[in-house]
Amino acid sequence: MTPDTTDPSVARGRPADKAAAADGTAVTGDGAVTGGSEQAIGEMAAAGGPAGRPGSDGALRLVRRRSVGILQRYSLVALLGISIGVYGIWGKTAAVFLSAADFRNIASSQAVLVVLTLGLIIPMISGSLDLSIGNAAGLSSVATAAFYAHGHVPLLVGALLGVLVGAIVGVVNGLLVVLLRVDSFIITLGTASAIFGIVIWYTGGQSIVLGIPQSLLSFGGGNLGGIPDSVYVVAVVGLIVWYLLEQTPFGRSLHAVGSNKAAARLVGIRVERMTFAAFVLSGAFAGLAGVLLLASSGAGNPEIGQSFTLTAVAAAFLGAASFKVGRLNVLGSIVAILFLAVNITGLTFAGVADWINQLFTGVALIVAIAFATALHRERRHRPRSTAQDSP
Amino acid sequence: MTAAAAEDRATALSVRSLGKVYAGTVALDGFDLDVRVGEVHALLGGNGSGKSTAIKILAGVVTAEPGGRIEAGGHVGRADQWSPALAHAAGLRFVHQQPAVFPELTIAENLALGEGFPTGPGGRIRWGVLHRRTAELLKRYHIAAAPTTPLGALAAVDRSRVAIIRALQDRDEADSGVLVLDEPTAALPGPEVEQLLTALRGYAAAGQTILYVSHRLDEALSVADRVTVLRDGRKVATVDTAGLSEGQLIELIVGRPIERLFPAVTQDVHDEAVLTVRGAVGGPLRGVDLSARKGEVLGIAGLLGSGRSELLRMIFGAYPMMAGQLTLDGKSYRPASPSAAMAAGVAYVPEERQADALFHTESVRHNLSAGQAGDYFRRLLFRHGQERRDASRSIGEFLVRTASDRHPVQTLSGGNQQKVVLARWLRQRPRLLLLDEPTQGVDVGARSEIYQLVRRATTAGTSVILVASDLEELAHACDRVAVLKGGRITAVVEQPLDAHHLTELVNISEAAA
Repeated sequence: MTPDTTDPSVARGRPADKAAAADGTAVTGDGAVTGGSEQAIGEMAAAGGPAGRPGSDGALRLVRRRSVGILQRYSLVALLGISIGVYGIWGKTAAVFLSAADFRNIASSQAVLVVLTLGLIIPMISGSLDLSIGNAAGLSSVATAAFYAHGHVPLLVGALLGVLVGAIVGVVNGLLVVLLRVDSFIITLGTASAIFGIVIWYTGGQSIVLGIPQSLLSFGGGNLGGIPDSVYVVAVVGLIVWYLLEQTPFGRSLHAVGSNKAAARLVGIRVERMTFAAFVLSGAFAGLAGVLLLASSGAGNPEIGQSFTLTAVAAAFLGAASFKVGRLNVLGSIVAILFLAVNITGLTFAGVADWINQLFTGVALIVAIAFATALHRERRHRPRSTAQDSP
Repeated sequence: MTAAAAEDRATALSVRSLGKVYAGTVALDGFDLDVRVGEVHALLGGNGSGKSTAIKILAGVVTAEPGGRIEAGGHVGRADQWSPALAHAAGLRFVHQQPAVFPELTIAENLALGEGFPTGPGGRIRWGVLHRRTAELLKRYHIAAAPTTPLGALAAVDRSRVAIIRALQDRDEADSGVLVLDEPTAALPGPEVEQLLTALRGYAAAGQTILYVSHRLDEALSVADRVTVLRDGRKVATVDTAGLSEGQLIELIVGRPIERLFPAVTQDVHDEAVLTVRGAVGGPLRGVDLSARKGEVLGIAGLLGSGRSELLRMIFGAYPMMAGQLTLDGKSYRPASPSAAMAAGVAYVPEERQADALFHTESVRHNLSAGQAGDYFRRLLFRHGQERRDASRSIGEFLVRTASDRHPVQTLSGGNQQKVVLARWLRQRPRLLLLDEPTQGVDVGARSEIYQLVRRATTAGTSVILVASDLEELAHACDRVAVLKGGRITAVVEQPLDAHHLTELVNISEAAA
């Protein structure tokens, strides 16, 4: 037998290992002997391996980690600032880019996307994905246009009906995900396509242009105190979603469901109810986005909605990489959308054709997800090392 | 066993001086084992006796300490250089507790995944050959099913048999090599256990050598020719099963003669029962009667699969109760969900901390107040300050070692994570706390702290029902221990409690009494 070491931390680690080794096969029976042993080996390596590591090293790592944390937290803001600076100085874009009109233009054109993304992060936090939001927004804009054109409803009633249409899509998504217990990714991919079919069937592929109330159109193009009207809507939506996610027990439960469904159930959270509610909310926000879309574009365009989905997903993931790192959050999402918009606008001004939109968004999505995955992996490894520092 | 008798059969597997130290803990210490050709040899021992480690070393997935030797099928190897490839070449075949079979694939496909698909030109699978080969194997091993039957359509026992066939199929002669079965009956429903044992006897009669690892003494006695008993990483003895009783076997396992078996069941002292369970039926439970008194720690001792975890979940409203009655504080209590149980003052710390209790990515603070966030929401504002103060207090009170309450809970060690889970419930001052293996994967220091915390709660009036596999732990931590076996409570023992006695009560079958 190898001689016993005198390091107390090693001694403390031991019986746990033994228990883990026994549990892996005998008690929990989680799989084959190999599986159990690998797990046990991992634990052993963690607890017993580099034992007796001096505390100074741990402190050093902590410092390094903290600086990395700050870098991560504000990296996207920094990138946004750098992007604005570059386009402001760059000869090809400087003339048009730094004007206030341009900023207003970017801000108002992104309102639809911001509302969609903020709605989307609600189910994402609870561990589901809603890929139907773009089409739900498209449906809502067409339906709202039809309510105005054919139903002659008042401005506000039409807007509320648009939100309701989106919420109904959310109800359908929520029911399907909860009742069928099928992955939300697949379900909402299906409903997205189905919604698009319905919209094309109803409109015959034609935009609804006539009968949109002037007040709505002037809202879409108007501004108050130099700030576009839609920015106020975005601010209100941002506050609502932030309040919901960070300041209510509902938001706390959503995070819990997203973190561990089984554990959430065992602390009394009604997981299915939370999932359902998350989809209804994302649907309702998609409905609101549809109304904004109608206001800014002036027509119920059946084709345009779905192009937003992927950008919203990309923005949500990018946003999770800033401010509250590893956590989907409102401010991060908004900065992510600005980052995407500034770059796409800037590159377009520089003479790059339209395809840059899709290319840039796609690459940003992949980079964001790769980043999030790496972060997740790092976090998975971290417990082992910190457990060593402070047992 | 005389020396002459030992010599008349060759040795199929011989192990000498196997040792294993896990981070300073001796798991195996000079373990010797001899398995003869054609015998069924059972390897028995309590939890942590080293039998899992021994099997893992034989399979080559755990490296032994230098100095040991393994000999099988004409291959001799140093134990610290033994590998899966060597084990395979030496004719050792393993079927693990939860065999890796694929229920949605056919029997033929399952078998081919072990052996390889027979292929023709262009890599085409020759299904005809495969199905003929499978049909032959099924016939040889007496399984009445077609090669194209999906494995999931078979009974559990036949799925296990297919796993065994898969392990054995590449050998023509049954008398070469050793089939190692690790707790093969653990996942089987009761009636099918006997069927598998019958099948094993059949294979043995055909000349197959079997090494059988189990914690079920009656099975080992009924199927094995000889048993080797392990205790504290050492071989206690290898004995013939002929004429061996369960009592003698327990004596070998626990290392102490049996003095008392099945004492009179102690009647409940009618002393303010907090929870009573009457005739609870559901899953493996077939009519459990139990009562937990105010301020006591009531232990539940039972084997894996005895329904001990299901009982706790039932009381917490997380497992369906088919029949029976529960009362809490004298009032009828029938929780439809965990939230209903929580509202009644019941708390539950599940067995699988990682899977069922922790929100890994969330902070320690949020983990502490999980499920109680509503308490901090007043007049449309979330009282973050109050939550933070409560978290700090809980961290101090429950001895959680963490850098801060904002750190993700996954950065904590196992023991501290468990203290967070415990604090989550105890800070709510529950009437009844249900603990399932609260010290699993927890180091000794934290283990004793956890039991201190539990004791502190009982002093404050909480009743605790504690499930633990470690009977030593139950004996020390509990005021009373109820033994759960065959879906019923078969005995309730009061202090002074004794682990050896509990081991007897838990392991020995009623038939032997």
